[in-house]
Amino acid sequence: MPEVPLAIALGWATLLLVAGGLVLLRSQDALTRVLALDVLVSIVVILMVILSYLRSESYYIDVALTLALLAFAATLAAARYLSRGSIF
Amino acid sequence: MAVVADIIGIALVAAGLTLATIALWGLLHMDRISTQLHAAGLISGPSVIAVLLAAPFTGEASIITSAVLVLIFVLISAPLASHAIAHAARRGVERVEPEVGRSDSDR
Repeated sequence: MPEVPLAIALGWATLLLVAGGLVLLRSQDALTRVLALDVLVSIVVILMVILSYLRSESYYIDVALTLALLAFAATLAAARYLSRGSIF
Repeated sequence: MAVVADIIGIALVAAGLTLATIALWGLLHMDRISTQLHAAGLISGPSVIAVLLAAPFTGEASIITSAVLVLIFVLISAPLASHAIAHAARRGVERVEPEVGRSDSDR
Protein backbone atom coordinates (compact mmCIF):
# COMPACT_ATOMS: atom_id res chain seq x y z
CA MET A 1 0.00 0.00 0.00
CA PRO A 2 1.18 3.60 -0.59
CA GLU A 3 3.16 5.12 2.25
CA VAL A 4 1.79 8.68 2.38
CA PRO A 5 -1.90 7.81 3.15
CA LEU A 6 -0.73 5.25 5.71
CA ALA A 7 1.50 7.85 7.40
CA ILE A 8 -1.51 10.23 7.51
CA ALA A 9 -3.62 7.40 8.99
CA LEU A 10 -0.91 6.82 11.60
CA GLY A 11 -1.03 10.51 12.61
CA TRP A 12 -4.83 10.36 12.69
CA ALA A 13 -4.75 7.32 14.99
CA THR A 14 -2.26 9.12 17.27
CA LEU A 15 -4.70 12.05 17.56
CA LEU A 16 -7.45 9.54 18.43
CA LEU A 17 -5.16 8.24 21.18
CA VAL A 18 -4.93 11.77 22.60
CA ALA A 19 -8.74 12.07 22.48
CA GLY A 20 -9.01 8.69 24.23
CA GLY A 21 -6.71 10.01 26.97
CA LEU A 22 -9.08 12.98 27.31
CA VAL A 23 -12.00 10.56 27.78
CA LEU A 24 -9.98 8.76 30.48
CA LEU A 25 -9.21 12.03 32.29
CA ARG A 26 -12.84 13.21 32.13
CA SER A 27 -14.36 9.94 33.39
CA GLN A 28 -16.21 10.22 36.70
CA ASP A 29 -16.33 6.66 38.08
CA ALA A 30 -14.19 3.51 37.96
CA LEU A 31 -16.37 1.68 35.42
CA THR A 32 -16.12 4.56 32.94
CA ARG A 33 -12.34 4.47 33.41
CA VAL A 34 -12.31 0.76 32.61
CA LEU A 35 -14.33 1.50 29.47
CA ALA A 36 -11.96 4.33 28.48
CA LEU A 37 -8.91 2.06 28.94
CA ASP A 38 -10.60 -0.60 26.78
CA VAL A 39 -11.13 2.03 24.08
CA LEU A 40 -7.49 3.19 24.39
CA VAL A 41 -6.26 -0.38 23.87
CA SER A 42 -8.46 -0.72 20.76
CA ILE A 43 -6.91 2.48 19.36
CA VAL A 44 -3.39 1.17 20.08
CA VAL A 45 -4.33 -2.07 18.25
CA ILE A 46 -5.43 0.04 15.24
CA LEU A 47 -2.14 1.99 15.49
CA MET A 48 -0.07 -1.22 15.52
CA VAL A 49 -1.95 -2.66 12.53
CA ILE A 50 -1.42 0.52 10.49
CA LEU A 51 2.28 0.51 11.50
CA SER A 52 2.48 -3.09 10.28
CA TYR A 53 1.01 -2.10 6.88
CA LEU A 54 3.41 0.87 6.65
CA ARG A 55 6.59 -1.08 7.41
CA SER A 56 5.44 -4.37 5.81
CA GLU A 57 6.32 -6.30 8.97
CA SER A 58 3.89 -8.78 10.51
CA TYR A 59 5.24 -8.80 14.06
CA TYR A 60 3.55 -5.47 14.88
CA ILE A 61 0.20 -7.28 14.50
CA ASP A 62 1.46 -10.01 16.85
CA VAL A 63 2.19 -7.26 19.39
CA ALA A 64 -1.36 -5.95 18.85
CA LEU A 65 -2.76 -9.47 19.44
CA THR A 66 -0.82 -9.83 22.69
CA LEU A 67 -1.95 -6.40 23.87
CA ALA A 68 -5.59 -7.18 23.01
CA LEU A 69 -5.35 -10.48 24.93
CA LEU A 70 -3.91 -8.79 28.06
CA ALA A 71 -6.45 -5.95 27.87
CA PHE A 72 -9.33 -8.42 27.53
CA ALA A 73 -8.22 -10.28 30.67
CA ALA A 74 -7.73 -6.98 32.52
CA THR A 75 -11.17 -5.68 31.51
CA LEU A 76 -12.88 -8.90 32.63
CA ALA A 77 -10.99 -8.85 35.95
CA ALA A 78 -11.73 -5.16 36.61
CA ALA A 79 -15.43 -5.49 35.73
CA ARG A 80 -15.76 -8.56 37.93
CA TYR A 81 -13.97 -6.82 40.80
CA LEU A 82 -16.21 -3.75 40.51
CA SER A 83 -19.41 -5.83 40.43
CA ARG A 84 -18.61 -8.51 43.06
CA GLY A 85 -15.81 -7.00 45.15
CA SER A 86 -13.42 -9.85 44.25
CA ILE A 87 -12.05 -11.35 41.04
CA PHE A 88 -12.56 -15.05 41.85
CA MET B 1 -5.15 -3.89 -10.55
CA ALA B 2 -2.61 -3.04 -7.84
CA VAL B 3 -3.87 0.55 -7.82
CA VAL B 4 -7.46 -0.63 -7.20
CA ALA B 5 -6.29 -2.85 -4.33
CA ASP B 6 -4.37 0.08 -2.82
CA ILE B 7 -7.44 2.34 -3.05
CA ILE B 8 -9.71 -0.27 -1.42
CA GLY B 9 -7.15 -0.87 1.36
CA ILE B 10 -6.73 2.84 2.11
CA ALA B 11 -10.54 3.31 2.00
CA LEU B 12 -10.99 0.54 4.58
CA VAL B 13 -8.36 2.08 6.89
CA ALA B 14 -10.01 5.51 6.49
CA ALA B 15 -13.46 4.01 7.19
CA GLY B 16 -12.16 2.41 10.39
CA LEU B 17 -10.55 5.64 11.57
CA THR B 18 -13.70 7.64 10.71
CA LEU B 19 -15.81 5.22 12.77
CA ALA B 20 -13.35 5.52 15.66
CA THR B 21 -13.47 9.35 15.47
CA ILE B 22 -17.30 9.38 15.54
CA ALA B 23 -17.34 6.93 18.45
CA LEU B 24 -14.81 8.98 20.46
CA TRP B 25 -16.88 12.11 19.82
CA GLY B 26 -19.89 10.25 21.19
CA LEU B 27 -17.91 8.93 24.14
CA LEU B 28 -16.88 12.48 25.07
CA HIS B 29 -20.46 13.80 24.87
CA MET B 30 -22.48 10.95 26.44
CA ASP B 31 -22.79 10.89 30.20
CA ARG B 32 -24.48 7.54 31.02
CA ILE B 33 -22.49 4.26 31.04
CA SER B 34 -25.09 2.47 28.86
CA THR B 35 -24.82 5.03 26.05
CA GLN B 36 -21.03 5.22 26.44
CA LEU B 37 -20.89 1.43 26.02
CA HIS B 38 -22.61 1.80 22.65
CA ALA B 39 -19.98 4.30 21.48
CA ALA B 40 -17.09 2.23 22.87
CA GLY B 41 -18.45 -0.88 21.14
CA LEU B 42 -18.14 0.95 17.81
CA ILE B 43 -14.38 1.37 18.37
CA SER B 44 -13.55 -2.06 19.81
CA GLY B 45 -15.66 -3.84 17.16
CA PRO B 46 -16.34 -2.36 13.68
CA SER B 47 -13.48 0.17 13.49
CA VAL B 48 -10.79 -2.39 14.41
CA ILE B 49 -12.38 -4.91 12.02
CA ALA B 50 -12.44 -2.37 9.16
CA VAL B 51 -8.72 -1.62 9.62
CA LEU B 52 -7.91 -5.36 9.80
CA LEU B 53 -9.92 -6.07 6.62
CA ALA B 54 -7.38 -3.94 4.73
CA ALA B 55 -4.69 -6.60 5.39
CA PRO B 56 -5.32 -8.69 2.20
CA PHE B 57 -4.58 -5.58 0.10
CA THR B 58 -0.99 -5.46 1.42
CA GLY B 59 -0.33 -8.69 -0.49
CA GLU B 60 1.89 -10.21 2.23
CA ALA B 61 0.95 -13.63 3.57
CA SER B 62 2.43 -13.15 7.05
CA ILE B 63 0.50 -9.90 7.61
CA ILE B 64 -2.76 -11.49 6.36
CA THR B 65 -2.32 -14.52 8.66
CA SER B 66 -1.66 -12.36 11.74
CA ALA B 67 -4.55 -10.04 10.84
CA VAL B 68 -6.97 -13.01 10.57
CA LEU B 69 -5.88 -14.17 14.04
CA VAL B 70 -6.49 -10.70 15.51
CA LEU B 71 -9.83 -10.50 13.66
CA ILE B 72 -11.04 -13.78 15.17
CA PHE B 73 -9.88 -12.70 18.62
CA VAL B 74 -11.58 -9.29 18.35
CA LEU B 75 -14.84 -10.92 17.16
CA ILE B 76 -14.85 -13.09 20.30
CA SER B 77 -13.45 -10.69 22.91
CA ALA B 78 -15.16 -7.36 22.08
CA PRO B 79 -18.75 -8.52 22.87
CA LEU B 80 -17.55 -10.39 25.97
CA ALA B 81 -15.75 -7.32 27.37
CA SER B 82 -18.77 -5.08 26.64
CA HIS B 83 -21.04 -7.61 28.34
CA ALA B 84 -18.79 -7.75 31.42
CA ILE B 85 -18.80 -3.94 31.78
CA ALA B 86 -22.58 -3.74 31.21
CA HIS B 87 -23.14 -6.51 33.77
CA ALA B 88 -20.97 -4.67 36.33
CA ALA B 89 -22.86 -1.43 35.67
CA ARG B 90 -26.23 -3.20 36.10
CA ARG B 91 -25.14 -4.84 39.35
CA GLY B 92 -23.96 -1.44 40.57
CA VAL B 93 -27.40 0.06 39.87
CA GLU B 94 -29.11 -2.87 41.60
CA ARG B 95 -26.84 -2.41 44.62
CA VAL B 96 -27.69 1.29 44.91
CA GLU B 97 -31.47 1.11 44.25
CA PRO B 98 -32.55 -1.04 47.28
CA GLU B 99 -30.69 1.34 49.61
CA VAL B 100 -32.62 4.27 48.12
CA GLY B 101 -35.92 2.35 48.51
CA ARG B 102 -35.10 1.41 52.12
CA SER B 103 -34.31 4.97 53.12
CA ASP B 104 -37.60 6.16 51.55
CA SER B 105 -39.70 3.58 53.46
CA ASP B 106 -37.90 4.35 56.72
CA ARG B 107 -39.08 7.92 56.53
